[in-house]
Amino acid sequence: MSEAAKVKTVCGYCGTGCGLVVEVDNNKIVKIRGDKEAPVNKGQTCVKGSFAYEYVHDKSRLTSPLIRKAGKLVETTWEEAYAFIAEKLQGIKSQFGPESITMFATARSTNEVNYVTQKFMRTVIGSNNIDGCNRT
Amino acid sequence: MGSNTTEAHPIIANRMKKAVKSGLKIIVIDPRRIDMVKSAHRHLQINVGSDIALMNAMIHVIIEEELYNPAFISQFTVDFDTLKEQVKRYTPEYAAVITGLEPQDIIDTAREYAKAEKAMIAYTLGITEHHCGVNNVFDIANLALLTGHIGKPGSGIMPLRGQNNVQGAGDMGCLPNQLPGAVSITNDEYRGRFEKAWGMDINPIAGDTQTRAFDKMETGAVKALYCLGENPLVADVHMTHTRKLLEKLDLLVVQDIFLTETAKLADVVLPARSWGEVEGTYTNTDRRIQRVRKAVDAHPNTKDDWVILCELATLMGYPMNYNTSEEIWDELRELAWEMYGGMPYSRLEKEYSLHYPCPDESHPGTFILHERYHNKVEASGKQSPFIPVMYTEPVELPDEDYPFTLTTGRRYESYNTHTQTRFYASGVKIKQTEESLDIHPDDAAKLGIETGELVEISSRRGSLQVKVKVTEQVAPGLVFMSFHFSDVPTNVLTINEFDPISGTAEFKACAVNIRPLK
Repeated sequence: MSEAAKVKTVCGYCGTGCGLVVEVDNNKIVKIRGDKEAPVNKGQTCVKGSFAYEYVHDKSRLTSPLIRKAGKLVETTWEEAYAFIAEKLQGIKSQFGPESITMFATARSTNEVNYVTQKFMRTVIGSNNIDGCNRT
Repeated sequence: MGSNTTEAHPIIANRMKKAVKSGLKIIVIDPRRIDMVKSAHRHLQINVGSDIALMNAMIHVIIEEELYNPAFISQFTVDFDTLKEQVKRYTPEYAAVITGLEPQDIIDTAREYAKAEKAMIAYTLGITEHHCGVNNVFDIANLALLTGHIGKPGSGIMPLRGQNNVQGAGDMGCLPNQLPGAVSITNDEYRGRFEKAWGMDINPIAGDTQTRAFDKMETGAVKALYCLGENPLVADVHMTHTRKLLEKLDLLVVQDIFLTETAKLADVVLPARSWGEVEGTYTNTDRRIQRVRKAVDAHPNTKDDWVILCELATLMGYPMNYNTSEEIWDELRELAWEMYGGMPYSRLEKEYSLHYPCPDESHPGTFILHERYHNKVEASGKQSPFIPVMYTEPVELPDEDYPFTLTTGRRYESYNTHTQTRFYASGVKIKQTEESLDIHPDDAAKLGIETGELVEISSRRGSLQVKVKVTEQVAPGLVFMSFHFSDVPTNVLTINEFDPISGTAEFKACAVNIRPLK
């Protein structure tokens, strides 16, 4: 058995921003502890930060794009999913205008994802109908 | 105020509790007897939604007893007279009727806050999730300006952010009225900077918040929703209504890591990568930028959210290409340099975290905002207006048909719609594994119900069955539920009324009826 690799990161739950050390073995997270060097938490963690990580590896994770056919969501390829979304968005935009499209961004993802999300909306779609889940 | 810190921000709560040992006095203002009350020197158990009555009365007392900071007010603020006028009728006695508190407790709290050498107000969704959420925040700012408790160590206003990157998502421009760097979309010069870099005109008119978007789905003006990493069906108010609106759309795209309740309604679902599988940065509740790193390789058929959006943009005729998250960060740093210019990944690696604004690499970052208030050199800077506000009662008050007030929130072990926290590591003992209706012993006795028994709870919008938990954490007349469990979807009950400025819904107050089922 290989020795667990240690990766420093920041917790993905609440806004406190605790530094964590994630121990990884065989591409699986096996343990999480608070990072003693982290300025926010100085080694402490809460129950979510330490133990609520199994979702990353759960079998119910989505591993394929899905598309609705005959009323049911079925697996599809990225190409088909992209083509369908692109055609629909362009159709709706040209028929009803960019304001008929809205986007919900996610405050759970990185700054980099959020930057690209609003850039997508403001350039590709041409609308400022972009808001996050900040209020729930 | 309105922060169940121990359960929602446990590590911040630990730091607060530790500070009590070295002399910090905590005043808890919350309708529930939350855990933090144990560490508090005073608990004001106010009626849900009566915050402005309390704060206006505190301002009234501080003005009446001349406990405000006159030098600070004349130098840095405007409209003090309007504030004085507005709070005139908010005597402690008047506010006591609205808040359910003793007048003397209001007076004592006002004196303690004003006379303290340093004082800070920390708040969370108990302040913002009201139809008057923005006014609640204005009144907190009024208190800080009145006393000068802002812009120096140990003082200020601290909104505790509920999600890891709420601060960052807004700062990055995922708001309908704001560009990256938190500058208004209506600022022509700033917008021009982005138009030039992106090679495209940007609409100068603010877009819609989520709540307005739902209104426009109802009228048919919004036809398509692209939803990333969010489960609005379960998270948002008035679930039955939300479902109808989502089903009505011409196109619903959901990009997520699980087939959430919202994703099940989608036309297309795209598999994204999760925390632990991606690189980037988060901005925490005190504006601290920190690196998040990839720990494990994701399933090869999933993609990072930004990769998906770039590939789709390119297919739709607007090429977006980045090789790494660092390239995105560097584009942002160049455009919003006043905030982030001085914090490349290399510096974050070295220094662990940096607070924006940090315009260049020799800048140490900004640990405390609004220091200009205490900096004589900049004393001629812009003045901050007091914004007097008026108490308005919750939209739906209890009555004969619906005699209880329901307030909602989070619990310690679970997180939001529970898509992730249902997967704890094995061996961890979880106390709260299902939803409960938290009710006061007096009310439970009147209804003849006990802990563990099933009741039907209903509002004007829907009803559901839930097990009772009898607890003195809530006051008589008040009941509490979280929104973590989709098998007991609490938001079937909540009301779709929201703040006209922020668009935040009134999750914290609606009227319900409770019927025993035995």
